[in-house]
Amino acid sequence: MLQLRASSVADTHAIAAAVASLARAGDMILLAGEMGAGKTAFAQGFGRALGVEEPITSPTYTLVHSYDLPPSQRRARTLHHADLYRLERTTEVAELALAELAEFGGIVLIEWGDVVESTFGDHLTVLLSNVIDDDAGGEEADPAADELVSDSRRHVEIAGVGSSWAARWERIAWALEQFA
Amino acid sequence: MLILGIETATERVSVALGGHEGVIAQFEVTKGRRHAETLVPAIDFVCTQVGIELDEVGLVAVDVGPGLFTGMRVGLASAKAFAQALRIPMIGISSLDLLAFPCRHADKVVVPVIDARRGEVFYAMYRQVPGGVQQVAEPAVGPIEDLVADLMARSQDALLVGDGALRYREEILEGFHCEIGGDAHPSAGPLVLLAHARALREEWVNPWEIEPIYLRAPDAQINWSTRAARS
Repeated sequence: MLQLRASSVADTHAIAAAVASLARAGDMILLAGEMGAGKTAFAQGFGRALGVEEPITSPTYTLVHSYDLPPSQRRARTLHHADLYRLERTTEVAELALAELAEFGGIVLIEWGDVVESTFGDHLTVLLSNVIDDDAGGEEADPAADELVSDSRRHVEIAGVGSSWAARWERIAWALEQFA
Repeated sequence: MLILGIETATERVSVALGGHEGVIAQFEVTKGRRHAETLVPAIDFVCTQVGIELDEVGLVAVDVGPGLFTGMRVGLASAKAFAQALRIPMIGISSLDLLAFPCRHADKVVVPVIDARRGEVFYAMYRQVPGGVQQVAEPAVGPIEDLVADLMARSQDALLVGDGALRYREEILEGFHCEIGGDAHPSAGPLVLLAHARALREEWVNPWEIEPIYLRAPDAQINWSTRAARS
């Protein structure tokens, strides 16, 4: 498991870009963390690194957003960005068929995927959390205050499950060394 | 009655037209898994080739799975849309029935096996009856060991068909001696033939009564309790 520190949104984007540089078709990446912890920011940095030019917005109400990757991007054909926040039942998750999207040339980012983690096969989990700011009197950043959140510092914990991530682990650790 | 058959439950997209004359047109693609992009042009193509207008179609038959969720979604939504727009009934048939039916002349237990991903398969068992096949074991989903155990328990000559049988050929043969061959994917031709037989018995339903067979893990409430911040 990697324990990283991001001191700005740019850092969160850079961490996401480093993970994206080692991702490939078939990957499922679960984004965990409370509201405002930076899950969508991570997805934005990730998508931009793969060449997605359209704005990446939260798929909370649409469940899955799919972005065709440029043909020059040989890593995968499509980036899928899912959000399970609105779902109540495991069959609703199954009906999204996220594993099928991954299997067919896709990289799938799944916000709140950790709540049904056991239903996924090989996957990477990225847990984001806001850092308690000592200067602000030791209080945790208020997730409702957007400005505060967007500038807040974050802990990013990355863990891989399964052989496909184990095989890449050293390279991932190396790519993220500067944030350790 | 002219029947439009729509098959998208596996990697194949298959469309057929037929009726009392049998299958009169069929088109299929088994590469690329572009269900959404291929299906409607394929329907247009088969209709054009035999000079049939859509409003001559009297029934829509569709494969209701089990199989690929992404494929079934496209096939079921399109089939229902056609049926509702044309105000005609539907017949839904299981992908396992469709794989077994073409083996109706084999003198073995027919076991369609569809790849369910992550090391699991959907399967069922059929025996021959006059004019077709009859299910003798309920559809199941499970790892290859479950399939092999079921085959051993029955210990009859068996013919395994389907992409699951092909993908896990070695593992299956290691556990149970059987024949593996036949079709890898269900096709719209058998779908039209089977639907025609059922249509003669007026076993059709309304579009809103057609449900996919997912045959997956039981439904459960997602445990959000650890997510205190979720409001």
